[in-house]
Amino acid sequence: MVGLATSFGSGAMTNSIGELEGADVLLVTGSNTTETHPQIGRNILNAVDHGAKLLVIDPRKTDLARQADIHLALRPGTDIALINAMMRVILDEDLADQLFISMRTEDFIELRDYLFRLDLDELARITGVSLRDIHEAACIYARSCKSVICYCLGITQHTCGTDNVQAIANLAMLTGNVEKEHGGVDPLRGQNNVQGACDMAALPAVLPGYQDLTDTDVRKRFEQVWGADVPPVPGKSLTEMTHSGPDGDIRAMFIMGENPVISDPHLNRVEATLKQLDFLAVSDIFLTETARLADVVFPAASFAEKGGTITNSERRVQLCHRAIPPIGNCRPDSEIIMELGRRLGCPGMDFDSDAEIMEEICLLTPIYGGMYYDRLAENWGLQWPCWNRDHPGTVFLHKYYFARGKGRFTVVAHQEPSEQPEEKYPFTLVTGRGSYHHYHTATMTRNSRRLVRECPEALLEISRKDCKDLELHSGEMVEVSSRRGTVLVRLEVTDRVKPGTVFTSFHFWEVPVNKLTVDALDPRSKCPEFKVCSVNVRKAAHA
Amino acid sequence: MLDYPERVLPKDNLIPLLRKLAKDARLIAPVRKSCGDTLFTEIVDVDNAVFDLKNKPQTSLKPFLLPQQEILAKYRVQDGEYTFSPPDAARPTIYFGVRSCDLTAVLYMDLIFSKPSRDATYFDRRNNSLIITLGCNDPLDNCFCESTGSGPYLEFGFGLQCIDLGESYFVSAGRRKGVDVLEKWGYFFRPVTEDDEQRRYQLFLEARGRFTRNVQVDHACRILQENPVPESLLEKLSSRCYDCGGCAYVCPTCTCFSVDDMELSKTNGLRIRSWDACTSSGFTRMAGGHNPVDRRRQALSRRFLHKLKHDFALHSKPSCTGCGRCVDICFGGVDITTFIDLLTASESV
Amino acid sequence: MRDVMTICNYCGCGCGVYLKVEQGRIVGSTPSGNHPISRGNLCSKGWHLHEFIHSKNRLTKPLLRRNDTLCPVSWDEALEVTAQSLRKARDRHGADAVGVLSSAKCTNEENYLLQKLTRAGLGTNNIDHCARL
Repeated sequence: MVGLATSFGSGAMTNSIGELEGADVLLVTGSNTTETHPQIGRNILNAVDHGAKLLVIDPRKTDLARQADIHLALRPGTDIALINAMMRVILDEDLADQLFISMRTEDFIELRDYLFRLDLDELARITGVSLRDIHEAACIYARSCKSVICYCLGITQHTCGTDNVQAIANLAMLTGNVEKEHGGVDPLRGQNNVQGACDMAALPAVLPGYQDLTDTDVRKRFEQVWGADVPPVPGKSLTEMTHSGPDGDIRAMFIMGENPVISDPHLNRVEATLKQLDFLAVSDIFLTETARLADVVFPAASFAEKGGTITNSERRVQLCHRAIPPIGNCRPDSEIIMELGRRLGCPGMDFDSDAEIMEEICLLTPIYGGMYYDRLAENWGLQWPCWNRDHPGTVFLHKYYFARGKGRFTVVAHQEPSEQPEEKYPFTLVTGRGSYHHYHTATMTRNSRRLVRECPEALLEISRKDCKDLELHSGEMVEVSSRRGTVLVRLEVTDRVKPGTVFTSFHFWEVPVNKLTVDALDPRSKCPEFKVCSVNVRKAAHA
Repeated sequence: MLDYPERVLPKDNLIPLLRKLAKDARLIAPVRKSCGDTLFTEIVDVDNAVFDLKNKPQTSLKPFLLPQQEILAKYRVQDGEYTFSPPDAARPTIYFGVRSCDLTAVLYMDLIFSKPSRDATYFDRRNNSLIITLGCNDPLDNCFCESTGSGPYLEFGFGLQCIDLGESYFVSAGRRKGVDVLEKWGYFFRPVTEDDEQRRYQLFLEARGRFTRNVQVDHACRILQENPVPESLLEKLSSRCYDCGGCAYVCPTCTCFSVDDMELSKTNGLRIRSWDACTSSGFTRMAGGHNPVDRRRQALSRRFLHKLKHDFALHSKPSCTGCGRCVDICFGGVDITTFIDLLTASESV
Repeated sequence: MRDVMTICNYCGCGCGVYLKVEQGRIVGSTPSGNHPISRGNLCSKGWHLHEFIHSKNRLTKPLLRRNDTLCPVSWDEALEVTAQSLRKARDRHGADAVGVLSSAKCTNEENYLLQKLTRAGLGTNNIDHCARL
């Protein structure tokens, strides 16, 4: 998000999901779209059926990669090298959109000079992809006027995640494939309301609507409405909090609907931090691994038991409706927060309805300026920015000009992942969501009988060659270890991964793969490097 | 068809008739929701319901006769002893505005649930239902019931069949329960004239000419009786199936289900039946982990073969009713019409 | 049986889904055909969206740790202990010793309220959620 915000001025999907169907070229990178965003995958495949070209950049041969015209199976962590190589090809072939570059962007010369200094053969060698495929993919992408790039956490969960995103933004701007329908850069958001949680500033460094926390005028406006001071110094990020350590600065925490003990990198440290807090309160619908460590646990109402709005990946703010009253003694999180707020003496914690809360959001958040409930009730909600009651919402971003004025090119150079394979840990472990049937830490999906049946346990994907070399068999339990820990997991031989790479999902608490992952962060987005770490695989001791 | 004289129901009398019928039974009809979807919905207030007899209801009657999740039995455990009690009895229900394809699907379900033994829960609902169909004068997008022999009008199987003549409905009774309605509420109806007969036939002819899709169901069924599905077709289908189960869930004749016990407390629980899909791998996986079906290659084609080959061999009729609900909703774009198109195209080469 | 339109709780696509309600229980999920994203179909997770709601593993009572076990308590007690403990941590170690994690699974209104509580009530900007995970 930081990366895209630097280049374009906004970190959200520039297109709408439905627009993908009209694209001529789709470049999908770091996203197993058909599994993780099935509806978006459906749009991509419909486009392919209408004759669009599909380019997939992924170290794994995912189901989507099988449908691709060109699958660039790069070595994990070499996205920048690959995209730089594509841009160099585009320059060499004279396919750059010079008019777009001069009218809508800035800082191109630095990037151009940098790209001309690169050696294409060297870049191809780094990525492990043939120069011919890179050349062909670059030409296909650049020749179309309706090219879309979709990316997901496979791009951002690296120490160079921000740079990865900026490289993608560079590629789109170089060919003029932004600021229009059927063309753009689309980060696919994972959770149902991750976009909304960002918009509402559940973030340490901004106020709602990405307004600058350090700007006195902005703070003044909030202070006027809230009737309380707003601290001017950005706070700590999630990993800074959960990794602060047993004797860290954080002494008490309130966690609403998250399970960092499973989802965060370097689990042992998270658990140690949370255990040593003076106080931990958790609000959730299930007794998650995190809730088990808490001093107080609040039983929250599920989505079916409350109203409110959520914002999807294409910035669409949609109304949810309560189907049943909260079960048992549960309460919606909004009530829990307001009750706590009143007891803590926080002013303005006496809303009677979700609609009333939204009115305050409209007042303070320019991009949500016209999101009143009566309007959201019509036509499946509105897409931000929606500046006021009369504004129709925005289908695609950056029409006429980028949110930041001109799009900015940034020189980004390849850097190796923080951890390299070595003799003791010869494999590169990639993690992600690995199933149509599960979701994140699976607290919900694993309480669904059918989904458990369809995908009962985690599997470690390994290539046939590696499996044979290690004298292992598909289906047996193996021990996977990194410098930080060891987990047991069942082996599955597949042609989805290349030799040297193994893959597994993080859905299952029995296989807490984040005990293995590194806690190196991207210095700007604070995003952990989940996607790449070095591991060893061997027969389980008691198998 | 019952040999009972047909009748004409002036449209002004429709609401008064439905009001009478709704006194003794639950009335379910297609309703236009505020967000534009048309769903079969229980009509609580006849006057203020937004009936939608123009668009295709998004779901068939399956969610009512074979619900997505239903209670087969309630159980109690005491000292290790299980006692079972039946679910609540079905309420008498009248379904109004049912399309020909969906009634054909119900007739197929009657067959499935009567063998090898009668399914008590299903037939409790079924025997308590009266189905009033509406012949299709305007086949909708993706409809191909003519190719499957299940529309646009039907000859039998309905309680009552209504054909929209413009100012009135041409009503035929197909079963005893329909006759009962015509007799009990006879004063809402008038006799049929020669003009009505001609008008009905004219509309039928026109409807048959309005199908926008030509799906060669019969041809496909015949090919499959003698030939295996080409390897390349199997490959294409399975490589684009994303295992959502959507085709099976929206299909009015897909009747796969699974049964689970759901513990409510230490002493109480429910035996639940819920929709399943033969396309999912867990459906055929055995306890030891072995799966006789190679999902990557066979999952989808098994479903198509059941409808077009095995059921055709058994009943001389495919069990696809041409309702078109699975068309366009498939994530991978490999619905039954794609299968039939590819299969018949490969044959003619 | 009632059909209640809401938005799917799983991924960022945001499908329109009807929850089927019968006698106070949610017994089914079906896609909206008219919704611009779901367009008549859901993924495997969406079609089984109703299954976890009445899971016997749901939390139904507030819990408080006593002698190292979590015991059921009243809402009033759970809220009061939480408010006091957060206040104590803030008074003893400063506002920045308190951290809050919000949720990408909760609504905009809830996220808004929680960041407001964190900033205006607790006096810190230590709030984040799992956008990066």
